[in-house]
Amino acid sequence: MNPWATGILHTLLLIVVMLLNGSLIIYMLRKVLGHLHLRLGPTELGPGGILQLVPDIVKLLVKEDRHPGKTDRWLYIIAPVIVFVPALMAYIAIPFSDKLIGFDVNLGVLMLFGFLTVIPLGIFAAGWGSHNKYALIGATRAVGGAISYEIPLLLSALIPIMLTGSFSLKAITMAQTTSVWYWLPAFPAMIIFFICSIMETNQSPFDMSEAESELVSGFNTEYSAMRFGFMYLAEFSNNFIMAAIMVSLFFGGWSLPFINPNTMGAFAPIVFIIKTYLVIFAFMFIRGTFSRYRVDQMLAFGWKKLMPIALVYTVVVAFFVKLISMKTGGGL
Amino acid sequence: MARWKFPVGIFKAMRIAWINLWRKNIVIQYPHERYELPERARWSVEMTLDENGHHTCTGCKICENTCADYIINIDVSVDEERNKHINHWLYQRGACMMCGLCVEACPFGAIHMGKNIELAYFDKEDLTDDLLTDTDAVKPPRKERPAPTAKSEPVSQEAAHDGAGKTGKSTKEEGGADGDNS
Repeated sequence: MNPWATGILHTLLLIVVMLLNGSLIIYMLRKVLGHLHLRLGPTELGPGGILQLVPDIVKLLVKEDRHPGKTDRWLYIIAPVIVFVPALMAYIAIPFSDKLIGFDVNLGVLMLFGFLTVIPLGIFAAGWGSHNKYALIGATRAVGGAISYEIPLLLSALIPIMLTGSFSLKAITMAQTTSVWYWLPAFPAMIIFFICSIMETNQSPFDMSEAESELVSGFNTEYSAMRFGFMYLAEFSNNFIMAAIMVSLFFGGWSLPFINPNTMGAFAPIVFIIKTYLVIFAFMFIRGTFSRYRVDQMLAFGWKKLMPIALVYTVVVAFFVKLISMKTGGGL
Repeated sequence: MARWKFPVGIFKAMRIAWINLWRKNIVIQYPHERYELPERARWSVEMTLDENGHHTCTGCKICENTCADYIINIDVSVDEERNKHINHWLYQRGACMMCGLCVEACPFGAIHMGKNIELAYFDKEDLTDDLLTDTDAVKPPRKERPAPTAKSEPVSQEAAHDGAGKTGKSTKEEGGADGDNS
């Protein structure tokens, strides 16, 4: 088959997966938050309101795309793309099962984080290009938050990597099938990773960049229609990606305890997606429970608490890993 | 540097949220379920109908004059025999503030505050409602008052005397007052 054709088909498949994921997570968010507030969320369209996804997406597609004057035109236009494309590309390295993986890079974790690091750039471009003070404040806060929280995020992600000795998500998952899932030995790292993921996906209690009560809508104040839809979908898609990385690093990926991972077959991706959605549920639970931090509290928490803990814990784990490998003569 | 305490509040909050997640919702599914309005709820003005299903408006326009928002407009025409005929009883529901002053002012109890809470319309014209169209006004029941005393009735002698005496007294007093002054 023509490599161009396969490439285009794969990209389209990724877009479909991302759209489905995004809309499902939007629906799930509304339901979960509704029940947390003793409401019901959407109920009218279809069973349990599941068909509400369709008008949601159609609304974004058919709304008038207004371009406010005085914007920095190119930045304004390109910012949603800068936000959307990395969120789409990050699906490449997620191992849904040992066969269902877009591209098994041996530096998969680094590649994923590399993609995710581009997203704050797009957010900043959106805020700067909007020519709007609220958008600019939101964008600066997003960048500040991303800078301060990505370091503990990477440091906590280093611990499963050190325990495995590989950057490949598939290898990390396979290593967890033979030993215990890594959230037990690396429990503090799991907690730090979880907190930083919340920050990374711009969710409450760290949703500084679009604090509706302070800034109108943060960096996407001036965006409407499908440009806003790109941002919106990217945000929820990031949610899925962070949850998937967390499942791969700490919760054994597509494996289940007491089951031979090589005999799971088509059941493996389903297990992976169920686990991912459980982690997303945990994100939403946190989102519906806690109120928003002040921006200085958020930065202080990131720099003064998470960073030292992550650093010290990384050093300690590295020390023990080295000790064990010296005793056993290489390898865990 | 404050002393670090274990963040108990976080777990308390999460526990409460978890309990709330499984509690029964407190929402009324509006179009399917209805909220029973309290007895004294006041919404838009409606005509009170008697047992025959007939209105009791006399077209006296007291409600129109009472209305603080000037939203009741009653178009009444009178024929030769002084029978009132209500052409229109216009009520601008969209501008009504449901204060109930018109209901209090109506001496015949012809209107009351209804319980229709669904006051959203697709059309602007629907906000103005014609409660009565082209109907005869009700003649108010006349109270049997005592027959008025005729002005031509002569005053009795005693009364005249009394009156004179009174006037005399008053003149005397006035005179005395004058004397004091002089």
